Amino acid sequence: MTTTEGRPAVSRTSAPGYRTYEIYQRMRVNETTALIKPRQLTAPEFLVDPYPVLTILRENYPCYRDWPGNAFWITRYDDVTSIFADEANFETRSKLWFYGAEGYGRDLNDELAVLACRASRTDAHARPLANAVIGDVVALGETDLATEFAARFALELLAVQLELPADDLPAFIERYWRMQRGWQWEPKAQLDGRLAMDELAAMLAPLLTARRADPGDDLISVIAGLDLPGGPATAEDLVATLLEDDHETLHGTLANLWFLLLTHPEQLALVDGDRRFVKLAWLEAVRFAPPAQTARRFARHEVERFGRLLPEGALLMCSAGAANRDPRQFSNPDTFDLDRRDLCHREPRGHYRADGLPTGISFGTGKPSKFPALPEDRPRSRYAIVRDTAVTASDALLDAVADLRIAEGATPHLRSLRLGEMRTCWRLPVTFTAR
Amino acid sequence: MATCPFRSVLDRALDLDADPATADPGARKEFPLMPVGQAIDMGFAPDGTPLFDPRVMETAEFVRNPYPYYRILRDHYPVYFDKLHNCYYVTRYDDITACYLDDEGFNTIPKGSSSGVLGNTQLELSGIEHRRRRNLYGRHLVGQALEKRVPAIRRLAAEMIEDWKSGVHGEWVVPDPATGRYTVELGKAFANEFPIRVVCQVLGFPDEARAQFFYWYSSMMNGLGGSETAHQGLEARQDLEDYVGSLVEARRKEPTYLTDDDGKILGRDIISELCATKVDGDWLSTEEITSNIALIVGGGGETTRGAILNMWYLLLQHPDQFAAVRNDDSLWDAAFHETLRHSTSIGGQPRHNTFDVEMHGVRVPAGSLMHMVDVSANHDDRVFDDPERFDLFRTDLYSGKLLRSGYRQDGKASHMAFGVGPHLCPGAWISHQESVTGSRLLLEHLGDVKIAVDRMPTDIDGVSLAPIGLGAIRALWLDVELI
Repeated sequence: MTTTEGRPAVSRTSAPGYRTYEIYQRMRVNETTALIKPRQLTAPEFLVDPYPVLTILRENYPCYRDWPGNAFWITRYDDVTSIFADEANFETRSKLWFYGAEGYGRDLNDELAVLACRASRTDAHARPLANAVIGDVVALGETDLATEFAARFALELLAVQLELPADDLPAFIERYWRMQRGWQWEPKAQLDGRLAMDELAAMLAPLLTARRADPGDDLISVIAGLDLPGGPATAEDLVATLLEDDHETLHGTLANLWFLLLTHPEQLALVDGDRRFVKLAWLEAVRFAPPAQTARRFARHEVERFGRLLPEGALLMCSAGAANRDPRQFSNPDTFDLDRRDLCHREPRGHYRADGLPTGISFGTGKPSKFPALPEDRPRSRYAIVRDTAVTASDALLDAVADLRIAEGATPHLRSLRLGEMRTCWRLPVTFTAR
Repeated sequence: MATCPFRSVLDRALDLDADPATADPGARKEFPLMPVGQAIDMGFAPDGTPLFDPRVMETAEFVRNPYPYYRILRDHYPVYFDKLHNCYYVTRYDDITACYLDDEGFNTIPKGSSSGVLGNTQLELSGIEHRRRRNLYGRHLVGQALEKRVPAIRRLAAEMIEDWKSGVHGEWVVPDPATGRYTVELGKAFANEFPIRVVCQVLGFPDEARAQFFYWYSSMMNGLGGSETAHQGLEARQDLEDYVGSLVEARRKEPTYLTDDDGKILGRDIISELCATKVDGDWLSTEEITSNIALIVGGGGETTRGAILNMWYLLLQHPDQFAAVRNDDSLWDAAFHETLRHSTSIGGQPRHNTFDVEMHGVRVPAGSLMHMVDVSANHDDRVFDDPERFDLFRTDLYSGKLLRSGYRQDGKASHMAFGVGPHLCPGAWISHQESVTGSRLLLEHLGDVKIAVDRMPTDIDGVSLAPIGLGAIRALWLDVELI
């Protein structure tokens, strides 16, 4: 047995002769995948820049069988949306399932009252909170936008929705992040995340009790007051609701938007000149660099798709990153262009193609909201809430500062910290002048 | 310059300054090579349970030193959900046996390959379909039919060993005129080709096609993956199939027979037998026969080669046991079985669960990929005492006649290298006979024999010989006295 470095070491769990023959059989029908090695999908380069590999997949192997990862990679826009829309054949599994903690609590994000509360709290607090956060930033004259603006604003807004006591905030955030980083494959993080869930539940339980007795208009009070078929909400339900909520969307898209604007100064000038572009810039940023790169779907039963027989239980890695750069949908897909005409500017609810244009895929990790935006007395979807909040916060930033640019010598970039985690800009040092 | 009230908390949670290289599966920094038998520290839960990082399975460390990791899985995660590779590992002897025997609940139907590319080989069938086809040629590889083949197998081995002194093996058999001894690479000089010759004979390939056949086989094996030799391998496979196809057509008209030493007909060879076989009232198609033959070739070559090399490697590292085998010919059977228990070429077999199941508190949704880790079962100390020790005298290993359903009673258990249950390797017996007969004959021709240590890879200490780990050693250099 050699122990040479660099030799691709794989766990051998099938007869070599068998696999050999299968590979040759696939070669015969020209079904080789020689342009890519499956290890590239887990390599460090993939965490920083997945697009070269994703392009190869999309243009050559639209339904790529990743044997070591036991998954199928779906990379074309129409293919990905067809899976999202097909709940009869493909299912989502919750983060609790990945934690192996199904039954821990109920996900209440789809409750109408919860959605309405999110919308009203966010509308009421987004602008004042943004002003406060940016006020702190402006006082310094230079800052790290990724943490001091994007991350801080997103997390404080969550705390405002819950109306957490200010003293609890650091402890809450620490646990919240541990929980959100734990459901993937990393064993240490999973253990830690599971502990964090219990700690969060213990922390939130007294608040839930207190607000059930004396309700306000915050999210905890609303959840405490829900009339649920299985009995009133518990602290575990509250934690499960927080877990399933997509924390990536506001933090990640804000950071990515500002990273892209700062690395494309001409686009920033456009936004600064006409604020109506802020929303378009955000939509384009979400298309160009979605923080949630991949959505997992599982086949409910054996089904034939994309020229293959997908077996029951098959894991489909639906790549938003690849689909959003699909040249079949978007001209010059690798260009960040907020004035693009081939991107739909309406809500991608259910990922249908409104106005005959693709919307870009960015919120595919959860199932589409079951509440359409019309009639008007319905609350907006979570997508719309996040979009409007990001626009509000960015507007506030543009109001407060001028001459915003990346700090000298800094080389910010987008990356995922761990395989499967959100891809965003984690450090964005900038200089500016106050307006 | 920070004003965020929870900045330090955030930085700690995100661990942004961590070295990105640690995200690399198999990064040597995080997964260094360990002394054999010792696992890397992957962390512990507060209750002392060791954690298991699935990335370790992609490392060189795991391939050479897998057993301490499988021990963690067996002891703490008997059904381990590997979320990185989207599969489950079953690692205990009893669990694996139960799954193998439940052909209905844990099927072998291939998942996700393009439209069943292997064709109708029995490896991919379950239940009644599998039983119907399995017996197509299985009976040629067992019992009396096999007993009668042994002299022929022995003759094949003898032919190969006779060539050693003739110089045809070139750099693989090198005489040292000063001492009169030889340096031999047992793989190239014997073990690689011997099982293929046996397969050729049992299948009924003409003798003159044997060299061509071995070339095709080697090209296919060397051409794996996207390597430069892939094209050559592809051509070889096509040529092989064309050739087998033409053989099949010929044998349909005129079957050929295997004979014993006296020229007495033992029965049709496997190709002729398959040509004359009906399943469900239909003759087997040429494609079906070709697929089956490819399966026999693939399954009969590499694995037996590995068994022979591993057996000699292990025996020569335990001189007392080697001496015992030399004194008592009959110990070869025990040596063979203990080798396969200790270090087998095949790590395990995949299964897919047909229904939702719960095992050891882990819920496994229907259709999941479940790896039955045979090598872990073979090192399960619930079954085998001190499993990492190579000891052909061990009393808890059953080395008698192999039973299709596995054997476990009176404190003895069969090893799992051939699987258990309906899919038990049909070549188990012939592989046993090849290894043992070949090794007996080898020993007759070898006087003093030892491992040519300077030509073998060493372990991390730079002195001791490298462990076998998963699979088989690639080459075995011997320093021998030829009789």
